[in-house]
Amino acid sequence: MIFFESVDKFYGSHRCLTRITAHVAKGEVVVICGPSGSGKTTLIRTVNGLEPIRSGRIVVNGQDVHAPKADINRLRREIGFVFQQFNLFPHMTVLDNVSLAPRKLRGLPREQAEEEARALLARVGLAEKANVYPGQLSGGQSQRVAIARALAMSPPVILFDEPTSALDPEMVGEVLAVMRDLAGSGITMVCVTHEMGFAREVADRVWFMDSGVILEDASPEEFFVAPRHPRARRFLADLRHA
Amino acid sequence: MLDILREYWLLFLVGQYPNGPLGGLVATLLVAICGLGLALPCAMAIALGRISPYMPVRIAAAFVVHTVRGTPFLMVIFWSYFGLPILLGRPINGFVTLVGALVLYESAYLAEAIRAGIEALPRGQREAARALGLNYWQTMGLVILPQALFNALPSLLTQFVSLIKETSLGYVISVNEFTFAAAQVNNQLLTKPVQVFSILALTFFAVCFTLTQTARRLERIVARRRNGMAKDGEPTALLATEPTP
Ligand SMILES: Nc1ncnc2c1ncn2[C@@H]1O[C@H](COP(=O)(O)OP(=O)(O)O)[C@@H](O)[C@H]1O
Ligand SMILES: [Mg+2]
Repeated sequence: MIFFESVDKFYGSHRCLTRITAHVAKGEVVVICGPSGSGKTTLIRTVNGLEPIRSGRIVVNGQDVHAPKADINRLRREIGFVFQQFNLFPHMTVLDNVSLAPRKLRGLPREQAEEEARALLARVGLAEKANVYPGQLSGGQSQRVAIARALAMSPPVILFDEPTSALDPEMVGEVLAVMRDLAGSGITMVCVTHEMGFAREVADRVWFMDSGVILEDASPEEFFVAPRHPRARRFLADLRHA
Repeated sequence: MLDILREYWLLFLVGQYPNGPLGGLVATLLVAICGLGLALPCAMAIALGRISPYMPVRIAAAFVVHTVRGTPFLMVIFWSYFGLPILLGRPINGFVTLVGALVLYESAYLAEAIRAGIEALPRGQREAARALGLNYWQTMGLVILPQALFNALPSLLTQFVSLIKETSLGYVISVNEFTFAAAQVNNQLLTKPVQVFSILALTFFAVCFTLTQTARRLERIVARRRNGMAKDGEPTALLATEPTP
């Protein structure tokens, strides 16, 4: 579903991704973890072209995202993206946030788009919030709306960048519950997170990144029980003590 | 002063109309509204130009803004008055000249207010819209500009108030507006310039003050609706840019 082929990315002269080669199969759930600044955000942002790359190829759903003649806007409809900071549109109601893309990009009539949006909101447990503005939501609710918005175009792939890091601890659970539910639905999912319980439970594979390199690509059992790389071992130990 | 008003209120309000051209306060407001109505879209275009991904567009937009900001409005009026007929090859009336000059002048200032509004938005707004698959223009039109214009409302309003005041410079090219009407009244009375021009000043003040207050209230209502937490809301993001000198 997603292929990285020797991807290099620089910020100025700072090399931020080094020869990333990896593969996410259809329906797979991949959790990316690693220390801060290791390039996790950058990596998943290259998947939908929010960040350009220096060289290499990223193929999503059979299409080269960074090809010069790629229709990036069309490709992005197939890739849901959930941000750490939610980034809901504050000037629109929750319902409009979720139904915007279907109306503008799939040309759905408002009524039908809103019906679909209500169904998605019900799925993330927020049916009753359809008509409020994002400013009135808690962090956990905001992130669940953001997930509903990312699902509105029915993308086969969804990417998460630390979806629970900006939340108060008591709200992490409700967002993870939605993601767990989603993981079981057959969608291909790539998720940057430090929620190791979640990774253990739902991930098919765990990627450990450090300094712009994927140091380890393992099943959760392998990764959590016997991480091969010393830096992965230290990372896990630090997480446990935190 | 009241007796002057009682005698000449119609002249103050609409000028010679219907026996002559429309003038007075109504003409002033008409010029201001036309000016704002046409300047706003131009300003949005210039603002987008200022932050365009294409360098030549950025340079062109910056050139317009800096040139206009370095020119006194009176100069713009003279240039429009003498230049436009030569450029168009036919005479144009004072009303159009004044509106044209206002649009040119105000577009540049409004554009800077809008640009500040755009740049104050978190980068995530644009990224979230693009990540959904919206293109550049959809992103600007549906997500960025509606928020930027709202955030820029206070400075846009300050600018509209200066625009109303600037119409009075139409006097120098004999546009029949409010100041012109006051001058006519003064010419008929001859002995009461202070009273006549006080009426002018007070009316300008009343109009501009009402406008500012109304917009402040509107802004609060919208801010409160969007943000349930801000109860007695000073709107959260007030952007001030320098008003026209
Ligand atoms: N816009 C940027 N400009 C310059 N350097 C950046 C930028 N974004 C990220 N970086 C750098 O790239 C590296 C990887 O960042 P990031 O992908 O955000 O890491 P992570 O998400 O794993 O914490 C860091 O060293 C960071 O300082
Ligand atoms: Mg990050």
